[in-house]
Amino acid sequence: MHNSISDPETATEYDSCEQREFIGDRGDYFLNRIQGETGVNVSACYQCERCTNACPISGFMDIKPHQIIRYVQLGWRIRLLKSSTIWLCLSCEMCTTYCPNEVDVAEIINHLRMMAARSSITPKEKSLAVFHHTFLEELIKSGRVNEFRLMRAYYSKPDILHAKIKNGTFKQELQLAMTLLRKGRLKLSAPKSKAVKEIQKAYFQTRGEIS
Amino acid sequence: MKLSFYPGCSLEGMANDYCESIYAVFKTLGIDLVEIEDWSCCGATAAHSLSEVMSVILPARNLAAADKMGLDIICPCSLCFNRLLFSQKMIKKKIFHIPWHVTGDTRVLDMTRFLAKPSIIKLIKQCVLKPLDSLKVVCYYGCQMVRPPKITGYADYENPQTLDHISAAAGARVIDWSYKSTCCGASIGIGRREIVESLSKRILQKTQQAGAEAIVVSCPLCQSNLDIVQKDRSEPPTPIFYITELLRLSFNYKGNPKWFKMHVADPVPLLKAKGLL
Repeated sequence: MHNSISDPETATEYDSCEQREFIGDRGDYFLNRIQGETGVNVSACYQCERCTNACPISGFMDIKPHQIIRYVQLGWRIRLLKSSTIWLCLSCEMCTTYCPNEVDVAEIINHLRMMAARSSITPKEKSLAVFHHTFLEELIKSGRVNEFRLMRAYYSKPDILHAKIKNGTFKQELQLAMTLLRKGRLKLSAPKSKAVKEIQKAYFQTRGEIS
Repeated sequence: MKLSFYPGCSLEGMANDYCESIYAVFKTLGIDLVEIEDWSCCGATAAHSLSEVMSVILPARNLAAADKMGLDIICPCSLCFNRLLFSQKMIKKKIFHIPWHVTGDTRVLDMTRFLAKPSIIKLIKQCVLKPLDSLKVVCYYGCQMVRPPKITGYADYENPQTLDHISAAAGARVIDWSYKSTCCGASIGIGRREIVESLSKRILQKTQQAGAEAIVVSCPLCQSNLDIVQKDRSEPPTPIFYITELLRLSFNYKGNPKWFKMHVADPVPLLKAKGLL
């Protein structure tokens, strides 16, 4: 039961049927799951591309916002979770605001990002994914987030520092940090919130851990 | 008048000059700000990117603390404002279990909208000692304060006016432009510097094309993005003022003048040229 709607890239290589993704069985399941979990009517999208046109960084994305919605309709889960779009999205809500059919595109992307964070798929934008994780870790540790502590924790994550040195941005960022420190904007220490224990308990509970 | 104040993490670190100027302005206006007791981080982008539950319960803790105080919350950081409102909406829906006792009825006010109320504008006009009538500014709102309108409650999300009204009350010449709520790149600069540079530089370029000399903002992240991107610029800098800094300047508030030094894009030459310093 091959379906006529297929990925445009692999459609030309018609003989390699294994690589083609099917809609129907997976599509409905995945679409229903996303719609159920987010409460967004994804089926209402008629591909007017208003979201992509409004998006300030659609040029940097591999799958454009309107394609994200289409892929959800088709049930292409792996392709979505492997994309850079879900990590690049700034949550600026332009797409959601300007959608004529009230499809909450930003919420869908956000939900896919959460799914990707829980999956075993390596994120395409590793530096951004690691940053989000570090932020949450720092938050749980002290209840409030201090920029200096956050950046220190971020750079001590595996591969981050190495990648920064390799593409030459590390020197610039060190200079920037020095400038900010001199100007008194970077505070080396900040008071912790007294509620750390409460927050940690709540956080571990959300992850199903007992503390 | 008394309000509970939720500063947020930025105002303790990178934007401590903003915090200082807010206290100075509200003192002049005669409005008491009481910091929410033992507040914690709202979770910002990270919590809502990784865990929906955390994005609701982290702001809920602060809402619960404000409930006890029984005062309206005023929120200068637009991301915190957005997160608090979002959490409030989810609390009302009763989807998640919240470990703290919270009603979700406390009003969360965005600082600019509070200051732009007609009664407060009148008060500001009375307090202005040194009108900034030679300063040409554009107002930049960013994303989280105005969008999504269903959460923030902005009816004029395409052309918001609050900062314009406040700056005009301080005497500044406010120029209308089209990039009021275009995204500046937010926290993406930490992983992908080039994206934030391309977005922020476009905003600066449009500022110059509009004929403005400075940008007025209310979001700490927008300020740092637009400010830091000017680090290696050879052209004369475009200072990025917080709205309360502008008010403080017009109130002729005698206090710590050190706040000028915290800007990367130095505002001193511009202010001296205009005779405001």
